[in-house]
Amino acid sequence: MMADLVLRDRFFKKYHGQEIENCIQCGTCTGSCPLAPYMDYGPRQLFAMVREGDMTEALNANTMWFCVSCYNCVVKCPRGISITDHMYSLKKMAAEIGIKPPKMLHLYQSFNAPVEKHGRLTDVAAMAGYSLRHPGAAFRNMPLGVKLAAKKRLEFKPRPVDNITGFKKVMEKAKEIERLS
Amino acid sequence: MKYGFFPGCSYKGAAGYKESTEAVSQLLGIELVEIKDWNCCGATSYWSTQSLEAYVLPARIMALAEKQEFSEIVNVCNACYSTLRKAHEKLTQDSDLKQKVNLALAEEGLTYSGNLKIRHFMEVIVNDLKADDIKKHIKKDLSGLVVAPYYGCQLNRPWADIDDAYYPVLMDRLIEIVGAKPLKNYSAKTECCGAAHMVAHKDFCIPLNNRIIKDAVSKGAQSICTLCPLCQLNVDSSQQGLGLPKMPVIFFTQLMGLAFGFSEKDLMLNKLLTPFKMAV
Repeated sequence: MMADLVLRDRFFKKYHGQEIENCIQCGTCTGSCPLAPYMDYGPRQLFAMVREGDMTEALNANTMWFCVSCYNCVVKCPRGISITDHMYSLKKMAAEIGIKPPKMLHLYQSFNAPVEKHGRLTDVAAMAGYSLRHPGAAFRNMPLGVKLAAKKRLEFKPRPVDNITGFKKVMEKAKEIERLS
Repeated sequence: MKYGFFPGCSYKGAAGYKESTEAVSQLLGIELVEIKDWNCCGATSYWSTQSLEAYVLPARIMALAEKQEFSEIVNVCNACYSTLRKAHEKLTQDSDLKQKVNLALAEEGLTYSGNLKIRHFMEVIVNDLKADDIKKHIKKDLSGLVVAPYYGCQLNRPWADIDDAYYPVLMDRLIEIVGAKPLKNYSAKTECCGAAHMVAHKDFCIPLNNRIIKDAVSKGAQSICTLCPLCQLNVDSSQQGLGLPKMPVIFFTQLMGLAFGFSEKDLMLNKLLTPFKMAV
């Protein structure tokens, strides 16, 4: 499919994906991955699909969203491929093409929003954002939240950076540069 | 010894990490000077969603450190350490990216030159101090305490330069220096705790933590020692329902503090979810 080839090209050029051409399909990545059992495809299969241009299938897989950035595979890869970085790229591309957002994307968005606003994060702010979208998770995490609150370990008030105006200008500029490139 | 200190967002809420770090560093004469106006490093969340901002966040922290004339940044969180180091390495190799980052930082009059080193506090203590400088402060005998050194992922992976990627030993050495016994053959010492996935996919992360705890229990540890707020929270909070004996998960700074004679209250050990009581 045309769209698939455009996406493949985008992964290889904009997201510096050329490195995966070196993959010898040994599966060491999948074998060393702590969450591979829950993935639609292990990293090895995912890279094979991307190389072949089956991008729609690859970008709709849950694989990259289960990457925990433990770097087990990166250390072990006999071809020195920075697998974790390619997982980040595939997450970004999946979000760009508007896949049905997985829970982890919601979690990332709930993490990023308070950072954009205040420059720093509190657990409470991130959890509040995530809970709005996933009340079930809020319910399950409630006992832990109560315990942490009882031990005065939760910060309910945001702690903004001192120069919040400057911080926001920097982030705004970064967005502008990103848009233009 | 003076270092630029990056506490990160999770430091304050972590169970006694702040109090014990302050107590221990002061006693050892390590001056951790907080980098003024620091921001969140962005961590995995930004790497996973943003291309340029993921670099701008850590670069702003490093630019502030440079402006405040620090040559080394000391981290207390594995994710902060990893994020800063990763950004630092990529920006050093990619001048085009560095230029873009600096263009954004210029909005606040900041520049990142890359002329600094990114470090973790645990490694600073072991590598920059002589064992005797630590030992001379020991007031309490911990020789009856067997401690499982749990390093997590992002301190030694992917770099594996200050220590081994899978079987690091720096914290083992530190445990020994303060007089306790590091658990031998602790094979889960760099297994993943699930990190932020614990929030969205708890069911998949519990088995990971089960292994970390079970390996420590079955080999005879009385406590697990860690160096990252998120590792601590995950391993500490996932113990209910595992059917294993409760295993307190303390920070390396709390272990040091105990050896130096600080009270359990000074070190805020009451903030742990699984209580720690000195049996010795």
